Order: sequence, then structure tokens, then C-alpha cells
Amino acid sequence: MRRTTKAAAALLTAVLATACSQGSATRDTGAENGKVTLRYFTFSAAPDHVADLDTIVAAFEKENPAIDVVVETAPFADYFTKLQTSIAGNTAPDTFELNYENFVTYASAGSLLDLGAAATGDDGYQPSVYAAESLKAFTHAGKQYALPASFSTVVLFYNKTLFDAAGLPAPTADWTWAEEKAAAAKLTDKDKGVYGDFQPVQFFEFYKALKQAGGEFLTTDGKKTAFNGPAGVKAATWLVDKVGDTMPTEAEIGGTADYDTKLFKSGKLAMWHNGIWQFAGMADAPFEWDVVVEPGDQSKASAVFHNAIAASATTKHPAEAWAWSRFLTSSQVAATTRIKASWELPPVSDQAILAGYLDTTAKPANRQAVFDSLKSIALPPVIARQQEMQDAMTEELSNAAAGRKTVRQALTDAAATIDGLLG
Amino acid sequence: MTATRTAPKAPPRPAARAVGPRRSRLRYAGTVALFLLPSAIPLTLFTLVPMAGSLWTSLHEWNLITPMRWAGLDNYAELLGDERTLAAFGHTLYFLAGYLPLVYAGGFGLALLLNRARRGRNVLRAVYFLPVVTSWVVVALMWKWLLNPAGGVVNWLIGLVGLEGPGWWTDPNWAMPSVILASAWKDLGFVMVILLAGLQAIPREYHEAARVDGATALQSFRHITLPLLSPSTFFVIVISLINGFQVFDQVHVMTGGGPAGATTVVVEQIYDLTFRYGRAGAASALSWLLFVIILIVTLVQIRAQRRWVNYA
Amino acid sequence: MRKVLRTIPVLLGALVMLFPFAWTVVTSLTPDGALLSSPPDFTPDGAGLDAYRRLLETMPFWRIVFNSLWLGVASTALQLITSSMAAYAFARLPFPGRGALFAVYLATLMVPMQVLVVPLFLEMRAFNLVDTYFAVLAPTVASAFGVFLLRQAIAQVPREFDEAAVLDGAGHLRVFAFVVLPLIRPALATFAIFGFLASWNSYLWPLVIIRSPEFMTIPLGLATLHGQFTTEWNVVMAGSVVSVVPILVLYLFAQKHVIASVAQSGLK
Repeated sequence: MRRTTKAAAALLTAVLATACSQGSATRDTGAENGKVTLRYFTFSAAPDHVADLDTIVAAFEKENPAIDVVVETAPFADYFTKLQTSIAGNTAPDTFELNYENFVTYASAGSLLDLGAAATGDDGYQPSVYAAESLKAFTHAGKQYALPASFSTVVLFYNKTLFDAAGLPAPTADWTWAEEKAAAAKLTDKDKGVYGDFQPVQFFEFYKALKQAGGEFLTTDGKKTAFNGPAGVKAATWLVDKVGDTMPTEAEIGGTADYDTKLFKSGKLAMWHNGIWQFAGMADAPFEWDVVVEPGDQSKASAVFHNAIAASATTKHPAEAWAWSRFLTSSQVAATTRIKASWELPPVSDQAILAGYLDTTAKPANRQAVFDSLKSIALPPVIARQQEMQDAMTEELSNAAAGRKTVRQALTDAAATIDGLLG
Repeated sequence: MTATRTAPKAPPRPAARAVGPRRSRLRYAGTVALFLLPSAIPLTLFTLVPMAGSLWTSLHEWNLITPMRWAGLDNYAELLGDERTLAAFGHTLYFLAGYLPLVYAGGFGLALLLNRARRGRNVLRAVYFLPVVTSWVVVALMWKWLLNPAGGVVNWLIGLVGLEGPGWWTDPNWAMPSVILASAWKDLGFVMVILLAGLQAIPREYHEAARVDGATALQSFRHITLPLLSPSTFFVIVISLINGFQVFDQVHVMTGGGPAGATTVVVEQIYDLTFRYGRAGAASALSWLLFVIILIVTLVQIRAQRRWVNYA
Repeated sequence: MRKVLRTIPVLLGALVMLFPFAWTVVTSLTPDGALLSSPPDFTPDGAGLDAYRRLLETMPFWRIVFNSLWLGVASTALQLITSSMAAYAFARLPFPGRGALFAVYLATLMVPMQVLVVPLFLEMRAFNLVDTYFAVLAPTVASAFGVFLLRQAIAQVPREFDEAAVLDGAGHLRVFAFVVLPLIRPALATFAIFGFLASWNSYLWPLVIIRSPEFMTIPLGLATLHGQFTTEWNVVMAGSVVSVVPILVLYLFAQKHVIASVAQSGLK
């Protein structure tokens, strides 16, 4: 018995000793040989641009040998849940990527470091390197809470080989929904597993389609929803009707991640609504493809995604966080790496750098469409309870797509929920 | 339930205490503390304190970052008026309505069949119990794969008889049935083992006496088996109800509450409120709502048992 | 004939119980390309352990298995100690307010983890314990259920046994350790099985409190793996196989005892 008691005591000590060790996420990042470890969390690097980010990190570490940048990535679908969870658990990364839609939520919640204060003492910093509008987009209550890092637009990708084989003319910039619909119907061949179109049924596609149909998401004072009208019905119907007709259903997708990316890349998707961040991944697709500004309805409207780098309000290394944020967003290395890799666009004011985006032989040929799409843009509605609004909208649209509700009913229910979030 | 039977009668005073002046009484108190503190401290720290903290949090608006703001009963009022709360309770009830009858009928049927079997009973019982010891996450992953509408085995089997399988967890109308199916599969063995033990505890002579008196098998079942099995049935139902209200693991893994929110059960909603929407106050309020409901349902059950549960 | 009619559904049911496990093993051995073949291929060409290799590459899976094992053992051991001691006090040491205190213990039984998870998370966060072994273990250290179960067992031990020892001058600690505990071994075993299973299978609390792969337990590791590789079902199923095997071995050894314990819990 005494032996067991001793063993139990030993076990207990061991348990207590190991129990008190902590995960890397919370371990003090002060670390070894005087080096500061700086964590950076991103959704836009993986899977296609990890190496490009590494290039930028290497250049930064060379300039700042005392800082060690550790990159953590997550797919966009999980990113904000993970970020929110880590902030809730006091284990927020020092620096992280934020999109324009979520910026207000995080800035108003007090989770972001005031970068303006962190910048004092950095003589090399010149706000004029950023496009002025971009910089302004990431201020809140008069403070600069994030630095613009990149922007991208959504365009219509099309498989030219499939269009040619069907004897159809390729999409042009003056297409409308009607032409897209007609072409999609002709190109869909379910026996061969070929689909004409793919446009996800969710919040981000909806606010844009709404604008294309001539509607607005919120009233001008931003206090109520305005999408529950004829334009909203038209936009939602446009998205929902594709499902199972010219686009695969959820059951056919079967929960497969990146199903649409794989479908397009395997040459079985004729038209694909997606962002320019897919350019690099599609570079070696074994068929001819190109892009064109998305077809509109009443008007043209392209979705613009604007990402920024912010630092956590609780970071122990504000100066290092500032240095890294600045480098990642405005250094020559970062801007040229992005341009060279077609990794979205850098929000810099220097037009010469941007011109490099067009001077390339890399696919797609019609890169001008990216800049053309910026001429009429649709900005997402932004409210304090952003995630709840996005979830509610996507949920009701999915209900309509699954045939559980009429489009009208789904919009009415979504409006009721979102009005509740605004009120 | 045996609590009353074994409640201590006033025990003889321990010897040490009888002799002792103040010092030995102190020592006795020390002994009691020594035995109780190892469990009392963790229970206080990790159950009672959080309960109190949760009540406090539920009266505040709190995004976990900026300081708490007093909100009184606003969280409760908002939850009660929010369709998403009603939907979450609705989905939980839907789960219970499918899951309870399925595991009970299945488990009872199997118990009856196995009770008659002479050979292989233990082996079969062990096989049926296997899913019970497997973790929910594994079960949920297995079934998600089996029920995959794009090339899954179950839809292939359905295709063999010439039907077209549904979209299962990708279809808002079929997602909850998918979760129910996986859950019933896992818990069937648990219910069966308990009911089988109950059946085996019924003395054979009762049935024999009934047969001598000219009772049919059905009469014997109704008037002997069912009443004498009622304590086991009661146990199974109470446990299943409590577990059913707390359903989360299999939902979170199989559907994450989707598609189109069709499987957002109450605990999934609590999870989302805290970790997706940063609303700890509302999440705490919803936790309390759930707790009170579980408490009421359990108490009602315990009261009602007097009317139908037969302790022989 | 009737016997056959009885046997068929039982055997069919057993097949339904076993098939998912078998299919999991088959899938884990299937190469990527043959995963969604229709009709399903039960003997896939090019079957191999590739998915297992990838599993170990993407996650520190042995470490995760080890975490589950030691956390399960530690949690069970601590629960056995704390619960049996409290049970002894409630069964054998009269003191004022004992009934009321026991009622408080029983009341905590009513509070499910699902309800505690948010406040517990906030508490751990306040002490900066998010993402630690300690945080996973702490809420499982004491169990009101265990106190209840073991108190019943101790109450059934004839008093003469330990009273004799007390009169001999043995302290309560010695009576507890050398007289009472050996006599309630079956109840301890039952409770140990419940405790280990609960820890081994728990998902919600680790999901909330753990971030780093090196502290993950098996259910959490598997769910994370699933999130990362929605399409690579062979890797996910390989992880499932690895996680089921230890519990299966344990179950095969203790099968009779496990089932007997569960069956008994329903008879009370």
C-alpha cells in the first residue's frame, strides 16, 4: 500500500508540473537571445501565396534582425471565428489581417492598437505612400487602427475552351445577367459533370447583386434594412435560381472544401464568380481562361475587398508590431512581391508600381478588367454586429436555395433579424 | 433513489470524540475538513463560482474586450424576443422528438429479443455497446462520411433499391434527421443494456404464474413486464432527456449548426454567441435559460414518476 | 422458426453496429483517387498506410494520443481520490450541517458542462490559464456523481468493520485507506470506468479552452483535422481509427465490467 501511495504522490507531482505548462499561443513571446517573436495571423496567404509572404517576412527580418515573425494561417471561412476566440481567450496574435467589413467591429470593441500612437518616433513613415482613400477607410473615431494592405475585386472567370467548343462567343464587359443566364444554360451538361455557372449563395454575393439590380442594403442613415423590396427579390432570385439549374447543389458538393476552385480548375465549370486572388492558383490550368468585369443588371457593380493589417490592443510589442505592419503594407519589397505574384493589389499611391500589374505575360490576358471593375464598385454594408448580420443573411438565402422558404419570405425574415441587430 | 434507504441513522459517536476536550474536537473538525476539502475546493472553484459569475455576466453586455456594461435583464428580454432563440429551442425539441422514440423503441426491441436469446447474448450485447464507448466526435465523423450525399455508402445502398437518397447533412430538411440517426445509433446500446438488465431482474415465476392463470403473452407483457420495467424506463428517459437538451458534440462536428441554421441547437447557439459574436452576456443568459428548463423538466419527471413508476 | 425470426433482426442490427467501424478502416486505407468511387470499393486498389503517414505529418498525433491518455488517467485518479474521501466523510463522519452540504454536492450534479462552459472559460481567462493542461483537467478533478456513487457503497460496508479499527486507535485516514477502500473496490472500478470514458471522449470543454495542437486531446484533434481536410476523408478516418483502437482494447478487456456497471446504474 505504501508503494501505491508513493506512486500516487509521484503521479500527482508530475500532473501538477505538466499541467502548469502553457501552449505556444500564450507563452510569453519575449523569448530567446533577446529576439522578439511577433505573431502574424492571416487568411489571404494560404494556400497560394505562402511563399510570397515568406519572401516579405525574410526581407523584413533582414532589416530587423531582432524581430522574428511567426506566420499563422487559417482559411477565410474559419478565420474570424478563430480570431474572435483568441481575442476572447487573451491569446490574440500580435498582428493580424482584417477586412474592411470587420474592421469597425474590432475597432469599436477596443481590440485594436492605435497605430498612430505607435508610429510616433518612426521617422521613415510617410502616410502619402498609401492611396489616401485606403488609409482613410481604416480610421475609426479619428484614429488609425489599421494599415491598408491589399485590395481585390471580384470578376467573372470563364473557361474559353468550353465556350469555343460550344460555339458561343466569350463574355464581354457589356454582358448583363440575361446573357450570362443564357450562356450558362447552354454550357451546362450534367451528364458530363459540366456546369455553366458558379456563384455562392451568401451575404457577399447578395449585397453586390442587390446593387447591380439597383437596390440598397441599408437605408441612407444606416438605421434600417432596405433590401426587402423588388430589387432584393430580383437579386436573391438571380442567385437562388442558379442552384441545381446551371450550378451544382449543396448535395452534389457534399461538403467538399474549395469545390468550385477544383471544378473550375478541372475544366468542368464554364463561368465562375470569384476574386482576383485566384489568379495565381489558376496559372497552370490546362485550358484557356480569361476574366471580364462581372455582368450587371440595372447597373454594373463589382465587389471590392479591402484588407488591412492591425495590431492587437494587448500586444506586448507595439513598436515591433508597428514596424511589421508598415513593412508588410507599404515597403517596396511587399508591393513588388504582390504585383509579381498577382497577389491582389497593393493600396499604394505610386501608379508606376500598379502599372506593373498589367505588364506581364501571366494569365489572365484581360488584366485591365481588374482596373475597369474599380470604376463602379459595391461596398459591403458595415454594422457593429457584422458577423451576426452576415450569418443571418446567408442563412435565409440558403433557406430559399433549399426551397424551404420563398425568396420573399426569406428576405422578410432576414430583414426582421437584421433590423433587430441594428436597433 | 436508494438515498433514503441508506441515510445514516444517528451513528455512535466516534471514540475519539467522546473522550476529547476541546483539542480533540478541533482535531475531529480537522479530520472532517481533510476528507472534504479535496472535493469541496474544486467544486466551489469550478462549479459554484462559475455559476455565480455566469449569473452576474448574464446581467451585463460584454464583448470580452471592453469593460462590462450593466444591462439588467436586457439580455433575457432580448433572447426571449429573438427568433433565433426560439429556433434554437425548436431545433433541440426536434432533436429530442426524433431521438428519444428511436433509441427507446430500438433499445427496448433489442432488449426483448436478446432477453430470449440463450446463446451469444453476451457477444451481441458487447457489439451493440461498442458505439457507446466511442467518442461523439468519431461517431459524428463516421456518419458524416457514411451519409455523404456525394458518393457516400448509405446513398449508394438506397440507390440499390432504386430510390434516390436525400442530401442528408447538406440539406436543411435532412440535416437534423442525419444528426438524429447518428445519435440513435450511438446510444442504442446504452438503452438496450439498461433495459435488458431490467428485464432480467424480473423473476421468471411471475410470467409462469400468469401463464398458469391463463394470461396471453400480450397480457403478461402489459401487466407484468411493463410495470416491472418502469424503474429502468424512468432512468433511461431522464438521462436521455437531460443529454438531449445538451446535445452539441455531434451537431458541431456534423453540421456546425447549418445548413441554413437548421441544426442550431441551444448549446450551439451559446457557443456561437460567445466565440463567434463576442457576446458573453447573452450567452450566459441563454445558459441560465437552458439550465432552468432542464431543471424544470427533470423535476417534473421526478414528480410524475410516482404515478407510473413501480418500485417493486 | 420463431427463433429464426428473432435472430435475424438481432444479427442485422449487429451488422449495422459494426459496419461503420469496418468502413472507417477501409476508408483509412483507401488512396485519395478511389475515395468517392461508385459503387463503393471495399477492396480498393493501391490500399496502403499513406493516410496514416499524412496524419502524422499534419498533426503531432502521437502527442495528442498521449495527451488524451495521461489526462484521462490523471482525471480518473484525482476523481477517485477526491470523491472517495468526500464519500467517506458523508457516510462515516457526522458533523453539523452534513445533510445540507450533501444536498449542495448533489445540486452541482444538476449543472451540466454545457451550461458551465462560458463562465468557466471566463474564469480560466481571468487567471490566464487558457490553453493549458491545467485548464482541461481542473473542472474534472472533483465529481459530485462520484461522491454520490461511492457514498452508497461505503454506506453498505458494515459499520462493525471500521468501528473496530477506530476503537483500536486507528485514525480515520487509516481506516479509510486500509479498511473501507479495499471493501468498495467494485464501486471504485465502476466509477473509474465512467471517469475515464468521460475524459477520453470529452469535446466541448477542450474545444473551448485549448488552441495549440500540442495540448489537444483526440476528439479535438480529430475535429480540427476534419476542419482542415474536409475532402481528405481517408486522413480523417485514419485519425478515427487511431483514436478508437486504445479504447477498443480497453473495452475488450473490461467489457463485462463496463456493461455490468452501466446495467447496474439503471437498476437503482
